[in-house]
Amino acid sequence: MDASELQPIVQFLQQSVPFESLDEATLATCCRSLTVGYYSKASSFVPLDPSHPQLYIVRSGAFEVRDISGELLDRLGEGDYFGFPSLLSGEEASNRVAILEDGLVYHLPPDIFNLLRTKSRQFDRFFNKAFAKRLRHQGRFKARELTTTSRITTLMSHSPLMIDMKSSVADAAKLMRKSRVSSLLVIDNKKLVGILTDKDLRNRVLAENLDGKLPVHQAMTTTPITIESNSLVFEAMLLMSEHNIHHLPVVDNGQTQGVITSTDILRGQSSQPLLLIGEIERQKDLPSLILVSKQIPLLLQNLISADARAEEIGRVLTSVTDALTRRLIVLNQQMLGEAPMAFCWLAFGSQGRQDQAACSDQDNGLLLAHEPDEAAQGYFEALSKAVCAGLNECGYVYCPGDIMAQNPKWRMSLNRWCAVFDKWVNTPDPKALMHCSIFFDMRSVFGPQSLFDGLQDEVLKNTKGNDIFLAGLTGNSLTSTPPLGFFRQFVLERDGTEVKGIDLKHKGNALINDIARVYALSAGIKEVNTAKRIRALMEQNIINRKDALNLADAHEFIAHMRLSNQGYQYTHAKPVTNYLMPKDLSSLVRHQLRDAFKVVHDGQVGLKLKMMRSY
Amino acid sequence: MKSIYLKSKLRWRTLKTSNRTIKHYYRSVLGNLSKPLLQIPLMAIDLEMTGLDPKFDQILSIGLVPIHNGMLQLGKAQHKLVSIDGSVGDSAVIHGIVDRQLATAISAKEAMVWFLSQTQGHVLVAHHAPLDMCFLKAEILRSLGEKMSFVAIDTMSLERSRLLRQHEVLKEGSLRLDACRRRYGLPVYAAHNATVDALACGELLLAQMVAIAGKDDLNLFDLLR
Amino acid sequence: MDVQTLTYLIVGVTFALYIGIAIYSRAGSTKEFYIAGGGVHPVMNGMATAADWMSAASFISLAGIVSFTGYDGSVYLMGWTGGYVLLALCMAPYLRKFGKFTVPDFIGDRYYSQAARTVAVVCAIFICFTYIAGQMRGVGVVFSRFLEVEVETGVYIGMAVVFFYAVLGGMKGITYTQVAQYCVLIFAFMVPAIFISVMMTGHIFPQIGFGAELIDAAGNGTGVYLLDKLDGLSAELGFSQYTEGSKSMIDVFFITGALMFGTAGLPHVIVRFFTVPRVKDARISAGWALVFIAIMYTTIPALAAFSRVNMIETINGPESTGVAYETAPEWIKNWEKTGLIQWDDKNQDGKIYYAKGAESEMKIDRDIMVLATPEIANLPAWVIALVAAGGLAAALSTSAGLLLVISTSVSHDLLKKNLMPDISDKKELLYARIAAALGIVMAGYFGINPPGFVAAVVAIAFGLAASSLFPAIIMGIFSKTVNKEGAISGMVLGLLFTASYIVYFKFVNPSANTSENWFLGISPEGIGMLGMMVNFAVAFGVSKVTSAVPQDVVDMVESIRFPKGSGEAQDH
Repeated sequence: MDASELQPIVQFLQQSVPFESLDEATLATCCRSLTVGYYSKASSFVPLDPSHPQLYIVRSGAFEVRDISGELLDRLGEGDYFGFPSLLSGEEASNRVAILEDGLVYHLPPDIFNLLRTKSRQFDRFFNKAFAKRLRHQGRFKARELTTTSRITTLMSHSPLMIDMKSSVADAAKLMRKSRVSSLLVIDNKKLVGILTDKDLRNRVLAENLDGKLPVHQAMTTTPITIESNSLVFEAMLLMSEHNIHHLPVVDNGQTQGVITSTDILRGQSSQPLLLIGEIERQKDLPSLILVSKQIPLLLQNLISADARAEEIGRVLTSVTDALTRRLIVLNQQMLGEAPMAFCWLAFGSQGRQDQAACSDQDNGLLLAHEPDEAAQGYFEALSKAVCAGLNECGYVYCPGDIMAQNPKWRMSLNRWCAVFDKWVNTPDPKALMHCSIFFDMRSVFGPQSLFDGLQDEVLKNTKGNDIFLAGLTGNSLTSTPPLGFFRQFVLERDGTEVKGIDLKHKGNALINDIARVYALSAGIKEVNTAKRIRALMEQNIINRKDALNLADAHEFIAHMRLSNQGYQYTHAKPVTNYLMPKDLSSLVRHQLRDAFKVVHDGQVGLKLKMMRSY
Repeated sequence: MKSIYLKSKLRWRTLKTSNRTIKHYYRSVLGNLSKPLLQIPLMAIDLEMTGLDPKFDQILSIGLVPIHNGMLQLGKAQHKLVSIDGSVGDSAVIHGIVDRQLATAISAKEAMVWFLSQTQGHVLVAHHAPLDMCFLKAEILRSLGEKMSFVAIDTMSLERSRLLRQHEVLKEGSLRLDACRRRYGLPVYAAHNATVDALACGELLLAQMVAIAGKDDLNLFDLLR
Repeated sequence: MDVQTLTYLIVGVTFALYIGIAIYSRAGSTKEFYIAGGGVHPVMNGMATAADWMSAASFISLAGIVSFTGYDGSVYLMGWTGGYVLLALCMAPYLRKFGKFTVPDFIGDRYYSQAARTVAVVCAIFICFTYIAGQMRGVGVVFSRFLEVEVETGVYIGMAVVFFYAVLGGMKGITYTQVAQYCVLIFAFMVPAIFISVMMTGHIFPQIGFGAELIDAAGNGTGVYLLDKLDGLSAELGFSQYTEGSKSMIDVFFITGALMFGTAGLPHVIVRFFTVPRVKDARISAGWALVFIAIMYTTIPALAAFSRVNMIETINGPESTGVAYETAPEWIKNWEKTGLIQWDDKNQDGKIYYAKGAESEMKIDRDIMVLATPEIANLPAWVIALVAAGGLAAALSTSAGLLLVISTSVSHDLLKKNLMPDISDKKELLYARIAAALGIVMAGYFGINPPGFVAAVVAIAFGLAASSLFPAIIMGIFSKTVNKEGAISGMVLGLLFTASYIVYFKFVNPSANTSENWFLGISPEGIGMLGMMVNFAVAFGVSKVTSAVPQDVVDMVESIRFPKGSGEAQDH
């Protein structure tokens, strides 16, 4: 029988994007492969069988996609789809589909879904896009606790100490003392057979008055409770408290990967931002601050593995930098005494924008309430030199362009700062415009807000509606374009013959920062964080809502790619760079990255049209 | 009570019949009856006939859509045209089958053998099942010489009792398949043939099952009346 | 190689050059270049400005007008050059200080009124549009001659080329493309002029040859000066003397004024002053632009005179009785194909003859003069091809700039700021492109059915600009009392007055277009200046009787004229 007997279903599919792109024969095959189910709100959720992923096509009724925490991601009605994320990613569905209104749903099995994707590029693109959108939504609303989402791989020790089961407990104890560990994995013929801990030695050997020659396997805990390496930290914590144990061997498919201890988890907890900031504020001298700052890379790793939003990561890392800066100022003021006048410690560039990442250098300056006399100059020179040096030792290297408070050029009174900004705005030569991308993203980290407001208000008053300056700024920002070629292929950067990949920072996020900055300055918006700028611009209807959301999503997506790439580089002991090789990506992510860069390109075109009256 | 009656009736039929196909058919259905409802294979069916009187009118086509695990299986949907004596006549207006199409049809006897083999082990589902059953029984008697008995869920009587329970006044036509479906927000299918109607009936049953059961478990005999 | 092949080749090569530069400057590391070189050199910027400035009207038509009308044509030379100076000295620095990129933006802010801005936008669009129509005609003439088609077809081809260049391509507005265009067009203009000058007078510089004595084929002086010869020829054929004008003093004065003040209101040139970071550099490049413009403008009268003499002599023959059509020079037959030269053998003697009035058997379109000059003078084929490329360069650079102004004014000022504030970037871009395409189509229509010659059409655009935008800008900068009511009514009345005067004499009642019927003897080309006076008078009058200018705007006007910031801020 052919599918013509099922005409109503064929017709329905023909009217649904993207099925309409399929030819008749394919559509018939597809139609023949469907099963039909009816879901009632009596059962609240659509039962998604993880072993049986399929595409759900809503024929009638109303549904809602919510993530684990119950956040709404999408609302679906006739002709909408769900279930495609797990089909595309191969991962188990984590979202839930609530039933709002009873409805009929068609199910398309995965093999046919994949067949259709190969047959129609449009079909494939549609679901990839929908998936990307879903991911972004998921990100937009996501605010998870770190412990619940970070994975144990970042905390566990990857090269655990092992001992053969026939060795003596005395040897085991010596090994443990030598390596200062509290547990050993016991193996037999490369297979994990048990775990030997301090507690075992105490309870089963010493307390029983047994000899040190006792073979390990008689003292160990046999068939220990294990955990898989992709488990969440919080699952490990659950297991430990459930069984009252402190060591969990990490085993994947019978292969021992490592061990995670309660100490590891505790250590992981302390690199949580709030704890870290609290820690910073408790330190009394530079050496201890340096020690604490050693945890910052770990914090970044944790945040990345927790799949936190890139924007959040930037904000968290920056707040740590801010705290460190403030603490350094306070500590130094304790030595130097009260400041002779009010001042603000200004943060520029990425710290100003609150999107710091790994390997940030410092960009800062000092804003003084009025013109300093000799003594005041001496005071501020000493203060800024000490703080900049402290930051340098804490891992925030000196700015190669010397944009730092310790440079007397960037240590000025309010009036002089205003004059400098005035000059940049009125004479936008290339050097001034270069400075703009750093200095116009400024934030006060320390000092009275009113002083800082005085500067910012003056600056924004000058930039707002100053079309000539804005055109210059736009022209400058357009000298760099997203790495897409004429046929939307990726353009890789090269260094001689070596292919470096796509520069996600300078060809991606920096461009969006530029776009947001120009618009924000044109409208006199005070925000400096790119996401906040875009939101403010959207609210004031300076950027169209759709354009703004696209831009914000692209910013988040590219930043996320950059961070996860850096996380990968870090864990694989490769040099941490901004370069990404597109061939390392799945085709799905490549699509999404391309779309994100297209958004950047469109944003640049729009900016050029508005600010330079050109296209 | 109903279950015991039904089962013993089928057992009796199994005993009585000498036709091995039919004996086998009964056994397979019996074997499934005690399973939980979701696991019982159901078969939504629809017949197109030349008229409404089983004595004179004949079956024109049969559409089948199986329901497994509460899901209609479109891949296993089937459709057969049945050849008839004489012309389709006026009824073509309703079912749209004209004589010319019947050229590809199979004989009534072949159709019944095919039907029994396809629905083996299945509980049938039809809208206004008694009528369809009458036609099937009559045809099987005619072509196979056997008095047949089926287990069939009637979505129309389910609907009637549901409406009566809600003290609704039954209006003319309110029990028609499309009218019933509309009550559950199911889409209206423009085209009509045996398969589409079988599908429509199957979907209606799924919706009715949910409506009758709510959060409770349901068994087959709640649906047979 | 014949002229046509050479034309294809040279036009192709110059286009490849523009595209190549566009691609190179896009892909190349412009940023590094900027930082290393500290921006575009003022000389380069001067050339780019000159390319923007010199349109197809300057290149193709101006010499034609001067050639045909002699002294009268010089009003265009004076008006445009004067306008440039006015723009560079009196307006650009102040507008720059004000921080506004476009004239409507300035007017909107200065007169604190969206309505004033919208009126200014409409004026600007109208002016640009008329200006492009002139360019289209010029491009059409070029294509028609060198592809040997009717001038209408030439305009269609030109429309397509301009559309691809200005709407779809991304090569406009790039300084180095403009520089290349300037080089091509000035080279194309100078080569034939120098050739002819050497041939006729023995002087390399056409400017000197203009006032020198003619030489014979052997290179000996004939004792006859070029202008004397031309005056003699003109008188002989019934034209007024070449060096004497036919226009009244007041008309010449008004036309010059309209052109001058209109120039200052032209939106696409002002932008060039803003793309240079330092005001000092802007001034220097304006000076260079003036030099580069002068190279061409001082050559125009010479070229006009040379070609006039050549043309009359080749048509009428040595005895001034005409030559037989069969033996007529090649160029006449070539141009006949375009319909821009027509021969009507009135006395049936089989000879072509050119003179003033009814006696003349030749109808010659003035716009062909520059393009035909190399042919008339029997210059090598590559020179002819080069002139074609130059004409295109002139038309493209100007139309691209103007189309940008039109399309972004429509999409941004009219749609985004007035009608559809919620429009997305993509839509805005789309509407901009549609507006540009519409602009080209309508300009093409006027290019095919011109209300006058290229330069005259353009002159109308200037007249409109002079009567509407120029007073609003000047009052905006130099007066603290003119308010929005005054400015709006001034612009509207000035524009209406000028437009209706022009429309009446050019379209409604063209037969009455003689000096006796003109108001105060002012021709439609010059009425813009009177419109400007109307504008000033209305604006001051209305401002007197309506509410005063708000204090913050008064402060703003004061700060514009305060010198600080128009230069550099103090270095620290």
